[in-house]
Amino acid sequence: MTDPQIALMMLGLFIVFVFLGFPIAFTLMAMGIGFGYYAYFEERRMWREYFRLDETASWWDSTSTYIEGFFNNRIFDLFVNQTYTVMSNEVLTAVPLFLFMGYIVERANIVDRLFTTLNIASKNIPGSMGVAALITCALFATATGIVGAVVTLMGLLALPAMLKARYDRSFASGIICAGGTLGILIPPSIMLIVYAAASNVSIVRLYAGALLPGLTLVALYLTYVVGRSILQPSVAPRPTAEEVPDVPMGKLLLMIVTSFVPLAFLIFAVLGSILFGLATPTEAASIGALGGILLAFIYRAMTWQRLRESVYLTLRTTAMVCWLFVGSYTFSAVFSYLGGEHVISEFVQGLDLTPVQFLIMAQIIIFLLGWPLEWSEIIIIFVPIFLPLLVFFEIDPLFFGVLVALNLQTSFLTPPMAMSAYYLKGIAPPEVKLTQIFAGCMPFLFCVIVAMVLMYLFPQIVFYLPELFYGS
Amino acid sequence: APAVLAQAPQVVKMQTSWSASNIWQEFAKDYADRVEAMSGGRLTIDLLPAGAVVGAFQVLDAVNDGVLDAAHSVPVYWYGKNKAASLFGTGPVFGGSATTMLSWFYEGGGKELYDELTQDIMGLDVDGYLGFPMFAQPFGWFKGEVNTVADLDGFKYRTVGLAADLLQSMGMSVAQLPGGEIVPAMERGVIDAFEFNNPSSDKDFGAQDVAKNYYLSSYHQASESFEFLFSRFFMEELEPDLRAIMIHAVEAVSTANTAKAMRRYSADLKWLQEEAGVTVHRTSQDILDGQIQAWDQLIPELESDPFMKKCLDSQRAWVEQVAYYELMNSPDYALAYNHYFPGKLKI
Amino acid sequence: MIGFIRFADNLSAWFGKAFAWLIIFMAAGTGYEVFVRYVLNSPTAWALDVSFIMYGSLFMMGGAYTLSRGGHVRGDFLYRLWQPKTQAKVDLVLYILFFFPGVTALIFAGWKYAARSWQYGEVSVNSPAGIPIYQFKTVIVVAGILLFVQGIAQVMRCLIAIRTNQWVEAEEDVFETEDLLMQQAAKAEKDAHP
Ligand code: NA
Ligand code: NA
Repeated sequence: MTDPQIALMMLGLFIVFVFLGFPIAFTLMAMGIGFGYYAYFEERRMWREYFRLDETASWWDSTSTYIEGFFNNRIFDLFVNQTYTVMSNEVLTAVPLFLFMGYIVERANIVDRLFTTLNIASKNIPGSMGVAALITCALFATATGIVGAVVTLMGLLALPAMLKARYDRSFASGIICAGGTLGILIPPSIMLIVYAAASNVSIVRLYAGALLPGLTLVALYLTYVVGRSILQPSVAPRPTAEEVPDVPMGKLLLMIVTSFVPLAFLIFAVLGSILFGLATPTEAASIGALGGILLAFIYRAMTWQRLRESVYLTLRTTAMVCWLFVGSYTFSAVFSYLGGEHVISEFVQGLDLTPVQFLIMAQIIIFLLGWPLEWSEIIIIFVPIFLPLLVFFEIDPLFFGVLVALNLQTSFLTPPMAMSAYYLKGIAPPEVKLTQIFAGCMPFLFCVIVAMVLMYLFPQIVFYLPELFYGS
Repeated sequence: APAVLAQAPQVVKMQTSWSASNIWQEFAKDYADRVEAMSGGRLTIDLLPAGAVVGAFQVLDAVNDGVLDAAHSVPVYWYGKNKAASLFGTGPVFGGSATTMLSWFYEGGGKELYDELTQDIMGLDVDGYLGFPMFAQPFGWFKGEVNTVADLDGFKYRTVGLAADLLQSMGMSVAQLPGGEIVPAMERGVIDAFEFNNPSSDKDFGAQDVAKNYYLSSYHQASESFEFLFSRFFMEELEPDLRAIMIHAVEAVSTANTAKAMRRYSADLKWLQEEAGVTVHRTSQDILDGQIQAWDQLIPELESDPFMKKCLDSQRAWVEQVAYYELMNSPDYALAYNHYFPGKLKI
Repeated sequence: MIGFIRFADNLSAWFGKAFAWLIIFMAAGTGYEVFVRYVLNSPTAWALDVSFIMYGSLFMMGGAYTLSRGGHVRGDFLYRLWQPKTQAKVDLVLYILFFFPGVTALIFAGWKYAARSWQYGEVSVNSPAGIPIYQFKTVIVVAGILLFVQGIAQVMRCLIAIRTNQWVEAEEDVFETEDLLMQQAAKAEKDAHP
């Protein structure tokens, strides 16, 4: 077998091993070290001390030197070197800070105020509760960037309210699942930082590029919710005065100022300072974290217990993401050392695809990977395989990244690993069936695909802001 | 990998500190092509860009561990491990050009001092050579004009190595970033100004998109060369003729790179001026004076380290003798240039 | 075995939690940098170095804690359907084949890597401030040792689960909001239908 064939075997075996359910960071590490041991196996170097021994060497010396030879493989040094590369990665420093901000914000008792306010404010719109739930989800998800918390918190708050107002179960569940997932797309999002770290695309440009597509998707979701409520009023009856009380204008304004404005300001401060070049994402994230703490204090939600929880959970989620990088850096260094990258790019180039065909193929593969896998695994492990090919097909990695981010919205909504749906099922009243949740997600999946087609037809949706802020 | 056939070419894993699209990757490729041609195909170099196996700043560790057989980099990239590294590239300017200093490396005792540093003091398993005397590096890219030392005060500026200490002592606030991160750093306000290396590399990563004033002529990095790092074990294992090829190809590519750099750098400078709307300036006398005074302050600090003192003494002695000859002997090229292409130079 | 598992869980948690607090320093330090840069126009030379040193230490030292609490992501859409017994058998083999070689390499090759850095007195090249990084490289070794100890505890967990068909859970102190809410919902439902 040639080295490049071995590299392909490495990739194939990895995919098989993923299904065994072992923590992927360590599976990657093991594959990298195992195949790296082969790639860097060189008798003369590994046993150089042993070969230098002369006849006078004792049995012990020669045995121990011989055994040492097995551990003299350079893959171990490469592994440590790659680990350090992840540890000193400047882009990833923003990850724990944004996570921390998210954990603080989700504990700041913000979501019920926001939903109540928006519910009242939107009450004359068709599907008003759905609209309110969707906007709450979008804002809250944007500030936290953490999917599970948004879906469960909203599932406990907005779902019962909608069900009580006789909303269709599927329709209501779909709104919460899809809305809660938006945080991974709309900047500042952890997923985009991870993509930037994996692809070397400037994170600032990426944030600027993802903003309009994120808003486009929100607009499509809203259009669907309002449109369906108009065409089929039975799925979203008008709430009664009991369900959504009438509130005088002055009080409503006050509610907006105390619930909507602070969170919106926090998001704007973080995102604005990045886009206008005032701060690095890491710096903006630290401002966001400090701002989140302030917000929690103002809402009297900051307790010692909540701070501790946020701190420890930040560590655990950061460790989860970054150890995945440790594994994948080692894996991909060995993969490219063995020549795997060359084979894949030669193979794909040999398929004679047009750039459009390639783009569609790549997105379909990523979509399919999103069924069994989560976004972190897909971005850190599989997306880098496509990245070298982008040069050949003259596709901007920024554009590709935004498409991937959109695409991965679906990974939370599609079975068998539809995390959003499972979270919602976990807290929803028992009469809401998982199949109903999935059915409710389908129209939103369709919206995602429409958004991707729009992106493709009008790439300016992606490029307009980056070019405006930073030139072409 | 095991089971290499006897007649198969030996594959040398060489990684650079540059991205695949950087002109220096092409310079490294010129080296690889020469080695392959001279060895009649017995050696092939698998030339990888930064990040393929390890990061740009990690190549010294990687060659030392044998993770790479060879690397194409510059000594300043590892000066965090030992500050003396910068004396083999971007040290004080006593009056010699990069060619003067590359000659010091080969004829003035530089290589012996380099081996003492890497092998004896640092205990590294590497054998390094310098090649391609780079043209003095421009002071770099600024959003507005800078004419005096006072104009630089408080500027957040990107450079590397000793130049960082130097410009810091001139009142700038210095960040050392790898080439690929410079433009994003300008975009997000981490830095206000930067230098990288030369018109082609600067153009390739889009310097002209984030700043329009380009200052040529500077003492901050006037004499750098590429560093060709080889794993010592790898070199010892090579057949003597192949080892000689690996070493002497550095000398060969030095000329090739110089010629190519002359053509490409000058063409790209012209492009920057004519197509990208960049204004090219010469750094002012005031700033150049400031730089020499800053070196004056820095040199005694450096010389508190005995090894650095030894290197600097050796360099000073070499420059005093050699540059005297060079400068006394060199005709005023500008005079001739002005005669044949009047009104173009702004010196 | 239970005793050792508890010991390892506590050890990992102690280190993980201690280093988790770096996030506060990171937020404060970076916030300070933003303040002095934009308000006083005199940026620090150390902010960048200090932030990546804290970030790297935080996630490395949190690896074992995360492992003990089952926080490393798995491709578990088949795994979750298996009996604990089956999960444990597969895990046991993979801990030995996949986990220990890498973690052992972290300790020994990491030692070599860090020792060299101590010998140079290596400093960061990001700024002329010359922030030391040898102590930071040592984190690799410590993280490796913690993972190694935790790995032994995980193997014991597997052995117990193979016998009893039940996982020995780590004592949980903090929960993701969604997990907490889902537990509460599950409990509420159980209480409603006794
Ligand atoms: Na999925
Ligand atoms: Na430079």
